[in-house]
Amino acid sequence: MGAMGVNLARVAIIGGFLLLWEIASGRWIEPFLVSSPSRIFFSLISGYRDGDLLQHTWVTFQEIAIGFPIGAISGIALGYAFGRSRLLAEIFEPIIIGLNGIPRTALAPLFIVWLGIGLWSKVGVVFLLTFFLNFFNTYTGMRQMDQEYVDLANLMGVKGWKLTLKVILPAISPYVFTGIRTSIPFAVIGAIVGEFVAATEGVGFFIRMSAGIFKTADVFVGIIVLMIMVIIMDRIAELIERRALRWQSQTEHIQIQA
Amino acid sequence: MANLTRNPSTVAPFPSDAVIQVEKVCKAFQSPGRENLDALIDIELSIHAGEFITVVGPSGCGKSTLLRLIAGFSPCSSGRIVFQGEEVRGLNTKVGYVPQESKLFPWLTVEENVGFGLDSKQYSRADRERQVSQFIHLAGLAGFEKYYPAQLSGGMSKRASIVRALVYEPPVILMDEPFGPLDAQTRMVLQDELLKIWEKKRQTIIFVTHDLVEAVALADQVVVMTHRPGKIRDVVQVPMSRPRNIFEIHRQDGFDEAYGHLWNIFRHELSIGAH
Repeated sequence: MGAMGVNLARVAIIGGFLLLWEIASGRWIEPFLVSSPSRIFFSLISGYRDGDLLQHTWVTFQEIAIGFPIGAISGIALGYAFGRSRLLAEIFEPIIIGLNGIPRTALAPLFIVWLGIGLWSKVGVVFLLTFFLNFFNTYTGMRQMDQEYVDLANLMGVKGWKLTLKVILPAISPYVFTGIRTSIPFAVIGAIVGEFVAATEGVGFFIRMSAGIFKTADVFVGIIVLMIMVIIMDRIAELIERRALRWQSQTEHIQIQA
Repeated sequence: MANLTRNPSTVAPFPSDAVIQVEKVCKAFQSPGRENLDALIDIELSIHAGEFITVVGPSGCGKSTLLRLIAGFSPCSSGRIVFQGEEVRGLNTKVGYVPQESKLFPWLTVEENVGFGLDSKQYSRADRERQVSQFIHLAGLAGFEKYYPAQLSGGMSKRASIVRALVYEPPVILMDEPFGPLDAQTRMVLQDELLKIWEKKRQTIIFVTHDLVEAVALADQVVVMTHRPGKIRDVVQVPMSRPRNIFEIHRQDGFDEAYGHLWNIFRHELSIGAH
């Protein structure tokens, strides 16, 4: 089967599923339970037309746009620092691993208490979920890195920030990108959990509110918006990764559970 | 035969023109839960500018450890290494190092890899480019400047790895079994190229190998090491003239003598090991 065939099969599967859904809704299953593709589509259009949904999307986007980069960068920076300093790693490693044992979404209510029901409590939860994944991946990269590259560079007189930029960062970059890409869906989860707990706007709030009044179509609309967000972010990250790692013949993804 | 060999103890203790003076060097590694493992014992060696030295011995005899000590990657347990009149403490940035595997930086192109060591030295942009392109040509890598190491063959990465160490012209180059994993033909071609480059540049080379033919073919002097704990068993002079023809090295005057001498030493070693 060629690429054409694969694509055709895909379209057929998705189309078939949507069609079945459309037919089943109202005939075999109550529409308020599962809604239907056509209802969801029209809700999506009307949601964006009267600007309501746009505002919710914008709020959630802001939470992620602030929390995600801060979480990723500080996670990468700390992972790097731990890799460079044995003392730092020795002192903090067990503490970090202990903290990692906390189910982080359970902290969301605390963030509401600390930072209020506005933007910043959600930024906090996004940060928290992003930070650990990036930290662990980068730190693993630092430990797996071939020390001989650093030795060789040192011997050739390269040290300090030049060593970091020209040798260490490229050497750990596959791990760093794995951290970034695995943390993208978690950043979105963080924002939604924060909004579920307490919020007045955002896609998470929109989903919860719609479910509360049985506007099932709107619940699906919210889910679709989130899905599109994750896909767009992942695509952007993938593009940057491909450019940065074009020296690898094949991008191998190292999956680290955290 | 007697003038072919020099017992380490008869080497003059502090020849003034020695680039590297290894003095009573011992190296022990700590193995947790067990007693220390002696890798090197009482190594005495003096190496003069422009010499091509090979170090030969069975695996695990501490040849690579000796190179790592000269490079300053790790400290001596006792004794000292004097490099150009100064004791080696910490990294010795005046040596070039060619590791066992090529260890080219995979994220840099051939060109960037070869020029890597020039960045921290005082080179103008034009000088840098000239130097890089000269050595890339010398290594037969012209046309591959923009390739990444993953796209090169084993022999090509080896060449790039060697000129990366040569390009900034350190007075001494340390090579740790650089041709080990290559096939016989590629190996000979590279040995030939290495000798040609060396004859032009005349840097001091210390070349570790476990291959007796290679050791004799390349060297002015062969340092023979024994199995654990690593000691210098003998230093054998190779009286062959230069330039040498690597591809017919067996037919050159002096090869048989030096090779036979080495083989005698190792045969003796082996029979000790067997009983």
